[in-house]
Amino acid sequence: MSEPLMRVLAELPPAEPDAVSAEGIRLRCRAELVQRASRAAAAPTPGMHDRINVWQPVIAVLGIAYLAEAVIQALRAALMQ
Amino acid sequence: MERDTELALVERLRLGDPDAFDVVYSTFHTHLLTFLVRLSRRRDVAEDLLEETWLRLVKHADRLRPDTRLGAWLFTVARNLHVSYRRSRMLEDSAATSLIALWPFSSARVSPFEAAAASELQRRIERALAAMPDASREVLLLVGVAGLDISDAADVCGITPEALRQRLHRARETLSKALERDAAAQVPLGRMTSCPNR
Repeated sequence: MSEPLMRVLAELPPAEPDAVSAEGIRLRCRAELVQRASRAAAAPTPGMHDRINVWQPVIAVLGIAYLAEAVIQALRAALMQ
Repeated sequence: MERDTELALVERLRLGDPDAFDVVYSTFHTHLLTFLVRLSRRRDVAEDLLEETWLRLVKHADRLRPDTRLGAWLFTVARNLHVSYRRSRMLEDSAATSLIALWPFSSARVSPFEAAAASELQRRIERALAAMPDASREVLLLVGVAGLDISDAADVCGITPEALRQRLHRARETLSKALERDAAAQVPLGRMTSCPNR
């Protein structure tokens, strides 16, 4: 292991970023980040979404039960006649 | 960067705070560019990959894990983008090899770092680094130049810390030998300028 070699590596000159290009990337990314954050804020909250998801099957089950009961009643009435 | 500061920045990034992005950007931009230029040996390619790296961070900001290590995350993305770029270029390179062989000579590309190196030793190191295989070069760049610790560098390369240590050891040996060969091949300037008219 040659520590002096690693020291020389650490002292190699860094790349000089092009100032105009670097600023362009920074501004583009900032704008994208803000846009994504505002889109996320405008979307329905997970709580609301969860409530919708819970109520949909409940309403469906009640509807099916109502229809089934209506069919049973109709059949019973028909048989009684 | 202190770990507490880093964790706070991750949290702010997750919430889409652009000022947090600026801090991360100013901390890592030059390091990433330096890494990518030396890895790809092409400034234009490095700049394209760097821009894509930052855009990936923005796209994934809200899905970052709260304990994300930003340096390791960014270098991983940059490295993976470079791997993809290399793969996409392989077919083109193999197709072009037969054509290049038809030219009377082909000159080795001088890296921008080699041209700008402050000392002869730095120039020789740049040459030796550029000639190394990607796997060896990337560990030297991550640990030696970018200053990542073994654990982070192993994460970036997708290997265990022990495997990274071994790879780093071999890469150092390869670099040392390349430098020795290069030094032996150098013709001392005094001999070249000595007067032959006697």
